[in-house]
Amino acid sequence: MSGKIAIVGAGPSGCYLAQALLKKAPDLQVDLIDQLPVPYGLVRYGVAADHQGTKGVARQFARVFERQGARFFGNVAIGRDVTLDDLRAAYDAVVLAAGLSTDRRLAVPGDDLPGVYGAGRLTRALFEHPDAEELPDLGAHPVIVGNGNVAIDLLRLLAKAPEELDGSDLGEGPSRWLAQSGIKTITITGRSPAARAKFDAVMVKELAKLSDVRIEVVGAGDSDDPAELKTLEALTAIHGHGDGAKRIIFRFGLTPKAVEGEGQVQAVRFDTESGEEVIPCTSVLTAIGFEAAPGLPRDALVAEAADAEEGRLAPGLFAAGWFRRGPRGTIPENRADAQALASVILDDFSADPTRMGGQVFDGLDNIVDYSGWSRIDAAETGAAPEGRCRTKLATRETMLGVAGARETTK
Amino acid sequence: MKITILYGTETGNAEMLAEDIQSEIEGDHEVEISNLEDFAPADFDADCFYLLVCSTYGDGDLPASAQPFADAMAAEKPDLAAIHFAIFGLGDSEYDETFNHGPKKLAELMIAHGAHQVGERVAHDASGSDMAEDLAFPWAETVIAEVSEKLGEAA
Ligand SMILES: Cc1cc2nc3c(=O)[nH]c(=O)nc-3n(C[C@H](O)[C@H](O)[C@H](O)COP(=O)(O)OP(=O)(O)OC[C@H]3O[C@@H](n4cnc5c(N)ncnc54)[C@H](O)[C@@H]3O)c2cc1C
Ligand SMILES: Cc1cc2nc3c(=O)[nH]c(=O)nc-3n(C[C@H](O)[C@H](O)[C@H](O)COP(=O)(O)O)c2cc1C
Repeated sequence: MSGKIAIVGAGPSGCYLAQALLKKAPDLQVDLIDQLPVPYGLVRYGVAADHQGTKGVARQFARVFERQGARFFGNVAIGRDVTLDDLRAAYDAVVLAAGLSTDRRLAVPGDDLPGVYGAGRLTRALFEHPDAEELPDLGAHPVIVGNGNVAIDLLRLLAKAPEELDGSDLGEGPSRWLAQSGIKTITITGRSPAARAKFDAVMVKELAKLSDVRIEVVGAGDSDDPAELKTLEALTAIHGHGDGAKRIIFRFGLTPKAVEGEGQVQAVRFDTESGEEVIPCTSVLTAIGFEAAPGLPRDALVAEAADAEEGRLAPGLFAAGWFRRGPRGTIPENRADAQALASVILDDFSADPTRMGGQVFDGLDNIVDYSGWSRIDAAETGAAPEGRCRTKLATRETMLGVAGARETTK
Repeated sequence: MKITILYGTETGNAEMLAEDIQSEIEGDHEVEISNLEDFAPADFDADCFYLLVCSTYGDGDLPASAQPFADAMAAEKPDLAAIHFAIFGLGDSEYDETFNHGPKKLAELMIAHGAHQVGERVAHDASGSDMAEDLAFPWAETVIAEVSEKLGEAA
């Protein structure tokens, strides 16, 4: 089968989809387009810097380009540099795998006070996303609102002693920021009771390895559901762990009602079963999910989808990964999803050889292709200092410079 | 020799490795490859040597694609006394308490049904510096040599 398919977003969903499509139909031309000069989406900018094993999937994704013949068009934003309509006209099928990157807001009074930061914003800054804002001062007593794996990632990174980041790819600036953070207490709050917290038990267990903390779990409660018990056991096991400098407090059953402060966060007011409770703090870190970034009319497309469950948005237009499903699910779920979607796409696929395919990008400046990314990758791993496995290039400018650099020596 | 590579995976690393092993050895052997989720215990063939490649998930659990196979083994209780296998594991030492428990469980399951393990279980560590294939190719060569000798003697 021949034909041209464009995938918007080179994160895990896009890469797994290209892998599955090219396994089923090796003669397809599959083009992965990303607004960033570098591929792999949240594998690079979301998965924590100290979870390098999880980033190992990038080796599979590299094969998609190196052996399966997919092409990378980096530094091209669909909706800005090329319209979605033009892209659809150029390809037999277009798949939107653009993720969801905007932090969901608390939607309570005061949620826009200085000192309230979303997990996406913070992780992008920590992991040196080129569009990230500055790393803010969190003060001595941040409160994390949210009980998913992302909340635990933030907690763990903020609690780590510098030497516990050995082997990671956390950059020099963020490493210094962490070392100098001055954090004394981190309170992590969830709306649900502990038994129904969304984080995985293994994520909680990992906290027992932290060297410079003392952990308190308040009011974990009980359950007779086996899955819930796993979470509770993990929480019970870390309660009382350590006698280090940073105090970590787990709290449950707290629903945020307002963020309070004069020109700057000073406290969060919560509703609890036994009335209101105010927790004083120096910053509020929200890890309560993500929504669509501006650029593509995601919500309208999904709402009007022909079959959102299957990933069909409109004729020749499909959706994958977080963009389709919402901000839930780990990397393996995107793989299963992508394999199912590949069948859906190919089931009634027809190719029109007159479509222009990748020529639609002709005339755009500074497109980074796969070999450009390979040069960035080599520069980053080559420059890794002692105790780090990579030094990320942190700005578009430096990325484009390295990507475009032709080899001068043979 | 007839060899079947069976892989159990969650994010695809074991599948990629299984395919690499296939490319590496298919010049010298008749090699088939299958995802464990597409393989039934009744498919085992005594004339074939099985190379299992399996990762670890959750809290030391089998990966998703190995689970239906494990369920089928439990339900069908096949007699695998004539079956020889070797096993290569994928895991991550960040999960130190359950490091490579997936393949360990899979090996135990095979042995519990009478199958014979050839060679040691070798473990890849996603947090280590080795590429999985750099460990797996020598492993495959060793276990294939070992089983050739063993079955050669028996014949
Ligand atoms: C902080 C964080 C940590 C996580 N940690 C883990 C973990 O440890 N393990 C795990 O299994 N899962 C983890 N996840 C979940 C995992 O990252 C997601 O399941 C997965 O990344 C979703 O893949 P995706 O391809 O749909 O989206 P993404 O990974 O977000 O990829 C989308 C891509 O589309 C590009 N894009 C967006 N808009 C456009 C546009 N208009 N034009 C062109 N390109 C565009 C983006 O630049 C991006 O590269 C984490 C998530 C977060 C947020
Ligand atoms: C959520 C999660 C849980 C994991 N649990 C374990 C574990 O308990 N023990 C282990 O050795 N490896 C564990 N791993 C590591 C994987 O086994 C390793 O990344 C492997 O390369 C994945 O191979 P696959 O892509 O074939 O599934 C885990 C990985 C993830 C992402």
